[in-house]
Amino acid sequence: MNSEENELADDIQQVFLTAEEIQRRVAELGQQISHDYRGKNPILVGALRGVICFMADLLRSITIPLEVDFIAVSSYSKESRDQGLVRVVKDLDRPVTGRHVIFVEDVIDTGLTLNYLMNNLRARQPASLEVCVLFDRNMRRLIDLPLRYKGFNLPDYFVVGYGLDHHERYRNLPYVGILKPEVLFARSKDSG
Amino acid sequence: MNNEAVKDSNETTRPGPDQEKARPVFVHPIEAIFARILDFYGVAWEYEPRTFPLEWDAQGNVTVAFTPDFYLPQQNLYIELTTLRPKLTLKKNRKMKRIKELYPEINIKIYKRRELRNMMLRFGLVEEAEKIFGTEAQNWDE
Repeated sequence: MNSEENELADDIQQVFLTAEEIQRRVAELGQQISHDYRGKNPILVGALRGVICFMADLLRSITIPLEVDFIAVSSYSKESRDQGLVRVVKDLDRPVTGRHVIFVEDVIDTGLTLNYLMNNLRARQPASLEVCVLFDRNMRRLIDLPLRYKGFNLPDYFVVGYGLDHHERYRNLPYVGILKPEVLFARSKDSG
Repeated sequence: MNNEAVKDSNETTRPGPDQEKARPVFVHPIEAIFARILDFYGVAWEYEPRTFPLEWDAQGNVTVAFTPDFYLPQQNLYIELTTLRPKLTLKKNRKMKRIKELYPEINIKIYKRRELRNMMLRFGLVEEAEKIFGTEAQNWDE
């Protein structure tokens, strides 16, 4: 382990999900999708950027032909709120009209972003639209939407890794860990 | 955040981001932040639109009532926010329990201190998150 890996791992209070646990569950989701979408050539649409680890592993665990695309929306922050509403900052590269779309997300929390994106995708009139989420933190849910494929329930700890970040850091950890409380605010100040 | 007395239910609705909005006077700063987040995502909300009587005296006068902070009409969901420390939430928890007993048809969710803090952090609102956990949190709340 190099010093950078140590540096990241040192900020973790406790491993919540090991890399093996995540890989096992992602493989199960891939099998399920392969079964459900046989002959449908689905398009997997990922919401950047947190989804990158999950999408990469999910794609490789699906055994049927598929396509992949990405979309990104502005997230709420002190800077973006002055620009008004949430907006698409990176749109899909190809149309999804009449296609079977699986929207892939790393974590569903309040459901606000998911709700916006589902409305956006639904307006493009896909043949079907389902959600595949790896982490569901439903105690903070404001907008309930059906999640057809779900990996894990997350408790209300501030977790990072496997795509989940804190100020763009820790996404590359192969596991999901609970961030030390003292790091939570220290890191915020460093980068803020 | 805390409404012991029955309030007038003069509804304050946020119909949509494109319409001119008269901002209500929020009791607590966290409510204003929460409202801004809902606005950002285009979610309609109402601020303290309804008060639920919880206890009555022998004459039938309401002695205890509860007014959830927000109502999301599209989700048919009431939201209560609290930044109180867990050991100080006993009264609020009792009210939440009572409201569910008396009004089982309504959907209500309480966002507690840690949930709010983590939500603020996820939205990059570090100062606000710190306030929730700092000494100011008690001043922020009732």
